[in-house]
Amino acid sequence: MDMVKAYGNFIKKSAENPKTAQKLINLGLAIAYHWLSRRHDKKMPKSFKYLNRICIKFMHQPLKNPNNSAWVNLFAPAEILHAMDIYPLFIEAFASFLCGFECEDEYIDRAERAGIAETLCSYHKAFLGAGITGLLPKPKFAVTTSMICDANIGTFRHLTDMYDIPCYVIDIPNYYSPDAEEYVVDQLKEMVCIIEDIMGRKLDEARLKKVLMTENQTRTFLKKYMDSLEYKYFPTTLTMEMFMLFASHTFMGRQETYRFYQMLYREIDSYPQKQVKRIFWIHLLPYYQTTLKKYFNLNDKYQILGCDLNFDFLDNMDYNNPYKALAEKMIKNQYNGEYQRRIEGITKIIKKLKPDGVINFCHWGCKQSSGGVILLRKAIKDMGIPFLSLDGDGIDKRNSHDGQIKTRLEAFLEILDG
Amino acid sequence: MGDVMVGYVCKYTPIHIIESFGEKVHKIDPLPANFDNADCCTHNNMCSYVKAVLEECLAGKIQRIVLMNCCDSVRRLYDVLKLQPTIEFLYMLDLPRKADEKGCIMLAKELNAFIKEYEKFSGINFNKERFVELLHEQRNSRQYAKAGVNIGIMGARCESSITEIIQNAGANIVFNLACNGDNVIETNGFNGEDIIYQYAKTLLNQYPCMRMADTTKRYAVLKKDIEKSISGLIFHTVKFCDMYSFDYTKIKENLSLPVLKLETDYSLQSEGQIRTRIEAFIEALKTKKPPRLTSNSAYVCGIDSGSLSTNVVILDGQRNILAYSIVPTGAKTVDSATEAFENALARANLTRSDISYIVSTGYGRIGIPFSDKRVTEITCHGRGAHFLNNSVRTIIDIGGQDSKIIRINNKGDVVDFVMNDKCSAGTGRFLEVMAKTLGLSLEDMSKEAANSKEELTITSMCTVFAESEVISLIAKNKDKADIIKGLNKSIAGRTLSLLERIGRKKHYMMTGGVAKNSGVVQALEEKIGEKIFVPEEPQIIGALGAALIALENIKS
Ligand code: SF4
Ligand code: SF4
Ligand code: SF4
Repeated sequence: MDMVKAYGNFIKKSAENPKTAQKLINLGLAIAYHWLSRRHDKKMPKSFKYLNRICIKFMHQPLKNPNNSAWVNLFAPAEILHAMDIYPLFIEAFASFLCGFECEDEYIDRAERAGIAETLCSYHKAFLGAGITGLLPKPKFAVTTSMICDANIGTFRHLTDMYDIPCYVIDIPNYYSPDAEEYVVDQLKEMVCIIEDIMGRKLDEARLKKVLMTENQTRTFLKKYMDSLEYKYFPTTLTMEMFMLFASHTFMGRQETYRFYQMLYREIDSYPQKQVKRIFWIHLLPYYQTTLKKYFNLNDKYQILGCDLNFDFLDNMDYNNPYKALAEKMIKNQYNGEYQRRIEGITKIIKKLKPDGVINFCHWGCKQSSGGVILLRKAIKDMGIPFLSLDGDGIDKRNSHDGQIKTRLEAFLEILDG
Repeated sequence: MGDVMVGYVCKYTPIHIIESFGEKVHKIDPLPANFDNADCCTHNNMCSYVKAVLEECLAGKIQRIVLMNCCDSVRRLYDVLKLQPTIEFLYMLDLPRKADEKGCIMLAKELNAFIKEYEKFSGINFNKERFVELLHEQRNSRQYAKAGVNIGIMGARCESSITEIIQNAGANIVFNLACNGDNVIETNGFNGEDIIYQYAKTLLNQYPCMRMADTTKRYAVLKKDIEKSISGLIFHTVKFCDMYSFDYTKIKENLSLPVLKLETDYSLQSEGQIRTRIEAFIEALKTKKPPRLTSNSAYVCGIDSGSLSTNVVILDGQRNILAYSIVPTGAKTVDSATEAFENALARANLTRSDISYIVSTGYGRIGIPFSDKRVTEITCHGRGAHFLNNSVRTIIDIGGQDSKIIRINNKGDVVDFVMNDKCSAGTGRFLEVMAKTLGLSLEDMSKEAANSKEELTITSMCTVFAESEVISLIAKNKDKADIIKGLNKSIAGRTLSLLERIGRKKHYMMTGGVAKNSGVVQALEEKIGEKIFVPEEPQIIGALGAALIALENIKS
């Protein structure tokens, strides 16, 4: 049995003992930070090694300092928290770490046993299980948005009730209009007042503006990286593409993220152009999946060009009007509103990056993405690009069937190679 | 326009506005035979209701449809319908999740935009006077509790076939607060310029559904009003709709009444099982004290017509089991029942005319014309188990196609139960498929697990996947005994999670065909950490209970 598995078993056995399990998670993160993240493959780009370390740090900070932390989901405006020096615990990422620690099944089962639908997204089930068993330390509050995904409101409401902490839901309208923007701005202002009350300190608007400025600069690096990605070979792994979600979303605006994208765009320049099959990935990547790892991790025949989620918002933010800018960012996110908007967003990126093939991953329980898969298939095929849709689960290993994935993937790669 | 109806799905839909254009509205309540066409246009993991609506639209049965931006599934339904040429009018209103002033202003704007769009489509101008008139019309007569069993419905939308089953089982539905339930909104006293705003406010302030940001009102009324008016609640969820599972856990906490949780997939497939569960639930609510026996000269019979076997028990007036028989259920329920009945009669040395009362139970109970009374297998199992061992509080019944956990009290009355509402995973059928895959008889399979040496885990829960997993384990030269043990553990795990839903309570009895499999029983004992009582003939408990009920009947 490998070490991580043994360690995961240890956590699972401590599920009834939340304090011990919490300690084990903290210890695991500390070990990963100080040791594992330095031990990478030579092929791994330096910027990714750095990304790996900062993500562990981003995860560890709120767990170590729960009194200065808040739960958020992927699309919550964490910029406000950064400006107030509050550590966000990004819940989908926490669930993903449980998978890394080989103990997601225990927590998913616990949530189901408590009556949560088994058809709910497993990121949410795992997080709920962690909450229900007390694995999560109590934060000060939680913030979620209603946009893109239904699971958020349910999960946040359930757990914040249980933990008896305030939860702010930002309701995001489906379409952009000045009225819709005002509706969101008002909510953001109300939310800030509530947070100020809870934390006993004021939000300094100048700090918030600075965070948005950093975010803008960071995004320029991201766009330069995309320019190079058009023709450069840059090895990556499924895990790194997932880690990038920390950078492209919750931790946008932080100095570490700025540094990461700066390193990334500088580093890609030193890489060669190479004849490899380039694949654009849509939706999440099941980073534990054996076959996919084999074909895509630091492989020099096949390269993942990136995952659409990391390019979902590429505009400049008007930092002089921070609330307006944040509201606009959320409403105009390409996944909010009609599916056609995301098809337009995705095809635009695809036209730029010119992949040889597109793979879409239907994550178990994710209705918002799976529901449009037939529309997406048509759009990509109309561009003349081979398209493959795989069914599986981003973290629950029991819901991804290796045999199925293998046959489909290999047949698809044969098409690309042919 | 007039004769084409405008379909809608959600209780927040501004139906008064649509009607003021002279249109008829129609709550879409589909019940397709399958989702074959819908699955080709979207992913099969969408909410079943949405797939059912899509199926109807693809069949050309709905041409105009007004949606509220409810959930991910509905949003994708809209995206898919947009490309359907048979749809002549499609509109989705953005429904705010907050009912405060800002939210109401947002909705009012949405309503005005919708009015413009419908004017454009229909060529008719919005008629405000007609709208006001319609608002003042009283349309929902309020329901109230009557003598007998009173039931409330909550949860996600609930197809009308379910409400029919409830009523046919003799219960009175006091309220239906599901998504497509009673739109009880107060519209009286509306007037003035900002009537659309007032209407928006009223819509948003209905009894909140799970989609709303603030749901505290949902639970506040439970203790205050709801508990007094009903004797049991039916909580309905739709397969692949997750929102309402959160609600269920909350309601269970806040309500001290019996709650039956039903999950349906909006297709015709699951009706039989749903009927059984609803009828059993209502029967349990009706439970009266069983009358004392005064005569001992009678003979009675219980017939349990299950999906895989038909079982018959004959009792005398002193509750002695005179004979029983078990035959496999064939294509015709009545033939198998007759055969089993005749077998038992022969063994007891009796003729048909000696039997004074027959109670039938099981899936096929309705199809047995010569029975005097029909009772669900849930109630019957409770009676039978209690009769055999009165310390039993939990019955674990794993039959051919479903499994259930029944909680009984010290009198043998059913107080709670859960059933697997999914598929054959973890049932007798599952074992049968696996035995075939392993090339063993069921009996050998039952003994084999004892020889296991290596711990194997079967991860797939679905029969189809588990089968291919077993095949690949065989290919890897794994020992059959270890595979069987792994399978047993997986069944035990499934059963345990079912058990957790009503909580553990000893003592345990296991019934149904699978109880004959000692490997499974042992795996389950290990999981629960308790001894499980297995009756000599675990397959006849339902028939025995039915016979006991027959005996009570001739004496009352
Ligand atoms: S994977 Fe889908 S369902 Fe899960 S959190 Fe993400 S958007 Fe929501
Ligand atoms: S959940 Fe709410 S918004 Fe959705 S259909 Fe039901 S009542 Fe309508
Ligand atoms: S049943 Fe649930 S998922 Fe389906 S439309 Fe209603 S709220 Fe949405």
